[in-house]
Amino acid sequence: MVGSLGGNEMQFDFFTWFGGLWDWILGILLWFWGIIKWLVIWILDIINGIWALAAVPENFMFLFRAVVMPGLIFLLLALIFTVWFTRKIWARVQDRRGPTHLGKYGGYQLFADAVKLMAKETIIPDKAKRWMYRILPSLLLVIVLIPFAFIPWDPYWNIMGPPGQAFGDLSVSLVLIFALLTAVPVFSLLIGWVTGSKYSLIGGFRSANNQFASEIPMVISSVGPAMLAGSLSMYSIVAAQTSIWYIVLLPINFATFLVASIASVGTFPFDAPVADSEIIFGWRTELSGIYFTVVYFAEFAEQMLYSAIMVALFFGGFNGLPFLPGIVNFLIKWLVVYFLFTVVTSSFYRLRQDQIVHLCWKYLLPLSVLNVVLVMFAIVYIPGLLPLVIGG
Amino acid sequence: MGFVGNLGDIFRILKHVFRQVFRRPFTYFYPFEDRPYPETTRGRHIHVRELCTACAQCVRACPVAAIRIDKEDQKFEKDAALYFDYTRCIFCGDCVSACRFEALFHTPIVDISEGDRDDLIYGPDKIETLDRDPLEWRGRRFR
Amino acid sequence: MSPDILDEASEIWFGPQHVSAHGWATKLTLVGDYIVECDPNAGYFHRSAEKCLEFRNFRQGSMILERICMMEAFLAEYPYIAAVEKIVDLEVPERAKVMRTIMLEFNRIHSLQFWWGQFAGELGLFAMLLWPWVDREYTLDAFETLTGSRHTVSYETPGGVKYDFTPKFLTKMEIALSRVKERMPVFEDMLSGSPTFRLRTEGVGHYTLKKALKWGLSGPNVKACGYPMDLRKDDPDPNLAYDMIDWEVPTIHNEDHPGECDAFDRLLQRFKEIETSLDIIDKLLPLLPEGPIVDPKARAKANRLPEGESYGRVEGTRGVTTVWLKTMEKAQTPWRAKIRGPCFASYYSLKHIVPGARFADFPAIFGSLDPYPGWWDR
Repeated sequence: MVGSLGGNEMQFDFFTWFGGLWDWILGILLWFWGIIKWLVIWILDIINGIWALAAVPENFMFLFRAVVMPGLIFLLLALIFTVWFTRKIWARVQDRRGPTHLGKYGGYQLFADAVKLMAKETIIPDKAKRWMYRILPSLLLVIVLIPFAFIPWDPYWNIMGPPGQAFGDLSVSLVLIFALLTAVPVFSLLIGWVTGSKYSLIGGFRSANNQFASEIPMVISSVGPAMLAGSLSMYSIVAAQTSIWYIVLLPINFATFLVASIASVGTFPFDAPVADSEIIFGWRTELSGIYFTVVYFAEFAEQMLYSAIMVALFFGGFNGLPFLPGIVNFLIKWLVVYFLFTVVTSSFYRLRQDQIVHLCWKYLLPLSVLNVVLVMFAIVYIPGLLPLVIGG
Repeated sequence: MGFVGNLGDIFRILKHVFRQVFRRPFTYFYPFEDRPYPETTRGRHIHVRELCTACAQCVRACPVAAIRIDKEDQKFEKDAALYFDYTRCIFCGDCVSACRFEALFHTPIVDISEGDRDDLIYGPDKIETLDRDPLEWRGRRFR
Repeated sequence: MSPDILDEASEIWFGPQHVSAHGWATKLTLVGDYIVECDPNAGYFHRSAEKCLEFRNFRQGSMILERICMMEAFLAEYPYIAAVEKIVDLEVPERAKVMRTIMLEFNRIHSLQFWWGQFAGELGLFAMLLWPWVDREYTLDAFETLTGSRHTVSYETPGGVKYDFTPKFLTKMEIALSRVKERMPVFEDMLSGSPTFRLRTEGVGHYTLKKALKWGLSGPNVKACGYPMDLRKDDPDPNLAYDMIDWEVPTIHNEDHPGECDAFDRLLQRFKEIETSLDIIDKLLPLLPEGPIVDPKARAKANRLPEGESYGRVEGTRGVTTVWLKTMEKAQTPWRAKIRGPCFASYYSLKHIVPGARFADFPAIFGSLDPYPGWWDR
């Protein structure tokens, strides 16, 4: 008998319930489908939005400039060229040839070295802190490569264009570059600490000491050109050198900036943190394989960066021969400055750490402050200087 | 040390280094060019079989026992075959000065590296002649 | 320094696996940047040369000696040959005496060229690592023209020398020596005239003459203090030609600190040694007599020696090098040959010189003392 229990009738029809079960399941599936559809539409919206943003011509050009030229890819190729160039110059100073066998004049040597180093087994010492050991070297390279975005290679084809435009140069980009570069010796100290060996610890501490000695004279030396140009933006300093290059007006400033930047990089006369004959390889001793490759290239990238800053501050950047595009001018000057940098660094003995501090604080710092004072007096009291140096 | 004196020293050093960079380097572009070896260079030996008398003085004089003599192997009247072990030879020249019959000499050939250890033990066929198989490297022939 | 400063001391092994420790190790105790204790540890380079000498006869023995220190191959072979000659009282022909002396001085120049490169390279200037070694190539070319081998010359033999001077050799020697002379001003500019070099080596690693003599140092390490202690003048060997000519022992006199020397003085001392050697060669070359270079009968006496003991000495580049030889009756090989190298004393004197210096001075100190592990480990 269907559903009659006297009094309250429970009307539960099994077959109707069974018939409705399918609709219920279908409803749940449609609910899931709705969520997935929402997710897919959301992702497509985001991609659409990015593409719309990138397809706007100036945004797309910014991306192109930042990644290809003169951005990341150009920098990596320039880095490889720089290391080859440096090895050849070091070899000629030592009365021998550099790499010669791979490729004509040894051009492929760097690729072979990079492949070899990356294929090596990374041995992490027992006492090292593993994750810091893995992350810090790459972070070092990233921090060294970032300031290249602010260097004015060309009047038009820069990563950051002239100030005032979209993607224009920051009005304080000189300060930003030095702020980023201040982080580099901190990383050296950290790497020396986490690799867990006494030699690298000594190297790390010496590197921090180097920063303490050399960064201040370097920053003060860069104030001279900034005062002459009247702005702290790298692009403006270069654009102001159309009539006369600042090295003609400020030769001693160039000399102190050169010495202070060699000390800041930590290469030859001031390479106590990485002294070959005392602490094997300083804070880089225990790095192996890909981590060493990254740190090795970071050192050369830093040297490239300082040469580029010197070209921009003192040698007029992209101003030069008028019939050549600006970036070619810049690269020619950069090659000459880098050659000078390398030859000067290979001519002097390694100073002891306390002698580095002594030299920087007793000689470089007063000289740079004197330079700044001289520039201040010259701007105020020499008529006709100001229109000369703030170019069109 | 005055400041100007130091500056003068620094410029002199920079002048030396700059001049050095633009000179032709001293190293030879081996293996395409090699330095001229003097004729007295004590390289690999050459055994002149016709003059040998099998006196074995060279075997006695060698400080490291790198020479082995085989008196049964005779080509002319009184000679013997010599086996030179270049894995032991120290190129001291005592065997050459011990030979009274001018049958053993040094030659200036010093690039005798081989891939197999056994190729370095020069038997009578190798020690009596200066010809050898050329070495192929990157499409060029050397030696 | 108070004793409890040693609580924060750290020990570091300047060990055998180190870029500038070529085969030796030292345990340094550092407090901060200063070295408070230095414990040299020899033995990593031992090749049992003295035992090998017992299995070689008296002509072959000099080949072991020259391989102990290949930079001064002529100077290293000589004490053994001198000891053998003393046991049988061999007389060496005049021509051989002069030739030996010329080659010993030439070898001294070569060894000091090597030292220039090594010392300057350890202090960080890689350009000066190779420039003296380029000049060394000319010297080695001259050695090869004379004897047939660049480093392992086996030139001296009991009773004379083995190879005669040929005109080709004389030309090459003149080229090598003139190159040394013309590069001396360049090296003076780059070494003693470089402000960074002076910063690194002045006041570093100093000791007084009395202490140096107490520790057993000899050679340029003592002459730099101003004391002309030179075996070539104090006890001239009858089989060499040092007493045939007039020459002066090279010493430097420093007015700032008489009786003491530091690393910079030792550098200047070695410059003077090279000048003295050039001077001796210039004076001896015209005096070269004609005649045989070895007496075959005398040489045959060196096949079997009578019983005896003797002591052969030479003033090497780094100090006095000696060989004490004992033979049994009619033996073809020595019973015992003891080699005394000059660097044993300079290496262990690091224990007293180094404490108080900074860690970065350590390569400067031991580089200026010119240690070579072959001599103390043999």
